Amino acid sequence: MEYKQKNDNALVDMIDIHKYFGSVQVLRGIDFHVDRQEIVGLLGDNGAGKSTLIKVLTGYHSLTRGQIYFDDEAVNIHSPHDARELGIETVHQDLALVPLMSIARNFWLGQEPTYEVGPFRFLDKKKMAVESIRALADVGIHIRDSEETVGNMSGGERQSVAIGRAVYFGKKLLILDEPTSALSVGETQKVLDYTIAAKEKGMSVIFITHNIRHVYEVADRFTIIERGHKLGDFYKSEVTENEVADMIVTGQIPERLRLYHEENGDVA
Amino acid sequence: MMQAYLEGKREASTIGSLVTILAFLFGILGIAIAFGTAFGWIPLGERAQILRSDINTVERIVTAISLVYAACCLRTAYGLYIREQASLRWSQWMMFTSVMIGGGILLSVAIPVGLKFSLLLGQVVDLRTLISQDAGGLAALSLSVGEGLISICLFIIALLALLALLVFLIPPLEPLRDRPGTRWIVAPPRKFVQAILSVLGVGVICFLVAGAAVVPDYPGQTTIRDAENHRLIAGLLFFLPGFFAYRVVRQVEEQSDELRRALALTPGKFIRAELAKSPSAGAIIGFVAIFMGFTMATDLFLEPSSVASFLSNVATKGVIAIGVTYLMISGEFDLSVGSILGVTALSFMNFMTHGAPVFGVVGPIPAALLAIFIAFILGAINGVLLISTRIPSFIVTLGTMLAFRAITLVAIAGGRILRYSDHHEALPVIGISNIVFIVLGVFGLAVVAFTAYRVVPVLYRGAMHAWSIRTDNGDFGTSGAIVRGFILVVIVLLLLAIVVWLAAVLSYHGSASGGQIVEVGYFDLFNGRVLAIGEESDFFHMQIPRNANVRLAIVWWFIFVVIFHIVLTSTSFGNSIFATGGNEGAARAQGVNVDRVKLQNFVIVALLTGIAAIYETARNPGVDPLKGTGWELEVIAMTVIGGALLTGGYGSVVGSLLGALIFGMLQTGLVLVGIESRLFSGTIGVIIIAAVVLNTLVRGARQN
Repeated sequence: MEYKQKNDNALVDMIDIHKYFGSVQVLRGIDFHVDRQEIVGLLGDNGAGKSTLIKVLTGYHSLTRGQIYFDDEAVNIHSPHDARELGIETVHQDLALVPLMSIARNFWLGQEPTYEVGPFRFLDKKKMAVESIRALADVGIHIRDSEETVGNMSGGERQSVAIGRAVYFGKKLLILDEPTSALSVGETQKVLDYTIAAKEKGMSVIFITHNIRHVYEVADRFTIIERGHKLGDFYKSEVTENEVADMIVTGQIPERLRLYHEENGDVA
Repeated sequence: MMQAYLEGKREASTIGSLVTILAFLFGILGIAIAFGTAFGWIPLGERAQILRSDINTVERIVTAISLVYAACCLRTAYGLYIREQASLRWSQWMMFTSVMIGGGILLSVAIPVGLKFSLLLGQVVDLRTLISQDAGGLAALSLSVGEGLISICLFIIALLALLALLVFLIPPLEPLRDRPGTRWIVAPPRKFVQAILSVLGVGVICFLVAGAAVVPDYPGQTTIRDAENHRLIAGLLFFLPGFFAYRVVRQVEEQSDELRRALALTPGKFIRAELAKSPSAGAIIGFVAIFMGFTMATDLFLEPSSVASFLSNVATKGVIAIGVTYLMISGEFDLSVGSILGVTALSFMNFMTHGAPVFGVVGPIPAALLAIFIAFILGAINGVLLISTRIPSFIVTLGTMLAFRAITLVAIAGGRILRYSDHHEALPVIGISNIVFIVLGVFGLAVVAFTAYRVVPVLYRGAMHAWSIRTDNGDFGTSGAIVRGFILVVIVLLLLAIVVWLAAVLSYHGSASGGQIVEVGYFDLFNGRVLAIGEESDFFHMQIPRNANVRLAIVWWFIFVVIFHIVLTSTSFGNSIFATGGNEGAARAQGVNVDRVKLQNFVIVALLTGIAAIYETARNPGVDPLKGTGWELEVIAMTVIGGALLTGGYGSVVGSLLGALIFGMLQTGLVLVGIESRLFSGTIGVIIIAAVVLNTLVRGARQN
């Protein structure tokens, strides 16, 4: 199969992505792109392949076939570290923080600031404490003590810290994997505020969820995935919240939208 | 109530006055004890055993502490008298201290008496003893009239204490409206439980004293000295009033307004919160308790020779425990350390006696390096097996434990012992030039200077900060600054003492008379008696008693603890170890190379085990094929006592140090108090469970 021409405007362009786990075909030729400073809602029912697509992008899984362009360059992402080098920060659903470690240590995990004494490098604990509190305050998360362990925090607070960290370190792309699934209404609203804050910082955001209500307010565009295929891309101006919700459940594009997209040649 | 008293409310004045008077009395009591100790009326330490006129260190310390205590008590009493706000917090602390002092004294009676009592029971039950001593043993059980009176008095005291506690602490009976009486069944009030427990404790102590007094001269060990009876009274004097008063002062604090609650954490909660910050809280409590217990139970325990012997016994295992702690924090497990130790010790000895593959027969240092390299390979095998197969490390190292053991069993056929002296006539010797001492001395000075540079300004700033934010009124408000200033002075003095010592060493080796080549055994360098190195002249200017078996491995061990503690807490490698064990997925998602961390930790364990093997072999230059069998579980026990979680993500190197010390103290202490060494493993078992329960409780307290 011939690769589709790559999209010139996009920050990320994933073309014809296939991912098989043994004989199980999880992704079957998905095209997915994120424009600069855009919030994309990646939607689909449970098991549709949203998380797998993202894990391919962040180097957690290697892809079976396909090509990824990042910042107009073809890239091979083999590990989470590679993705981070490119400027991709991810907040995973279950892999966000280490409960037994302090907020500051979690915040800096993997890229701790150090100072050198001769050949030795030691953690700059002062910077870790001060900067983490300041950086989290910047995105609207106020913590009392950076030495408090994450295990003592509520689910919403943890999610906030994880997102705050990603916004702080993220350079180009922020990926939120089901960030609101375990949160209360107020906490969800906060997460949406952080998302917009990230966009204003100049980042693009991929917001993964199966619940349209959580993302409709902030997203610019929705990409709906259904059993390893892409159903389509829909700009917020084209669809209503209910239509998107129906598409996720039924896997069918409504008549009105199908015509619209055929005109634009945009149906997979 | 106390708050009301301070505000001059009439109805609270009785109890407030009582607490004031009590603080005053405690102050007088403190002064009395200080005088008694200083003038030899209350013999302590060595003087309690031998009638000598000169005052000893223990007595000096006790005198100083009780004077400080008395001063604080009197100041508190005065503060309460003039109704100063801050005296509330101080009275809490002083009552708390009184309870602790009283409790300590009571324990100092209870522990030896309890031990003696159990030994007595053991002897009575032991039929062989009875038969061998025919009628003599039973005749000793007849009690004299005087002893009987003492025991009856003690029982009456116990009964009175029980009544007093019950009357004072019994909670108001307020049954639930709909179902009267259920409150008691569902949840007995905490106060009630505490009252019952403390009464039980006091009662048991009195009972034990009485019981031991009944049989004063039972053959062997059971005698109760007058001194212990007197101490019991002193303990009760401090404990019971202090306890009641603490309850009164505490209650008020809990009922007071928001701001005051924030300012005044009760002493109990404060200490719990401080302890909860450390992963090794259980180990700290256990260490203090066991140390105090043995110190009180037998006068032999704090002898330099006993301390040196228990330190020497656990130093090598302690070195391995550091590595196992690292591994455990990263969520893995190593059962093969005992076998790695065996293989390393064997290769070390073999390289010196039969020769290494390429190099032939080599000297001790190359042999040690080669042997440690072999340990490195074995550790790498463990690590690679783990990350390539993804089998749980328990299984991997169970396998390698058995497999590595086969190496020693095959190499030394027939269970012989490979001895250095069978192949060489004399132990190897190295000449050390005075230059080495000078370099080491200068290095030591540099380390001290750097430590001072890092630590002293921080402490100074802390003290100044505490001084500037004193929120309480009066002289009490400065207490935080005083405490910090005191710590600062102590640390500065300590650093100065080290500098003076190093300067003495330097000047000795720098001078023409001292500058000479020193002959030291290689094995002594690894793990010899410290005296064997510094014996002939005053190389190190250290005051070590000649009978103390201080091994050099202790020094190495402490150095390793410091280094590995710093690496674990203050480097990004340490951070990734915690993350790997705490939540492997999160660590990986944040770009930590989890597999590499685990491999590194397996190698660190193996290297430390290799070093420990060199120490063991140097101490006793001979290797048998079963060397190190069973060590793995002992080392894991030390680590677990030290607060490391089996599930990973939590633990500390200092904890492993404390765990090893607890292990060593029990090993030596149980023998010293006359308990059979067969009971050792049983005791350790109880201690492990108790330590883990404590750790869990403290962590629970942290969560609230």
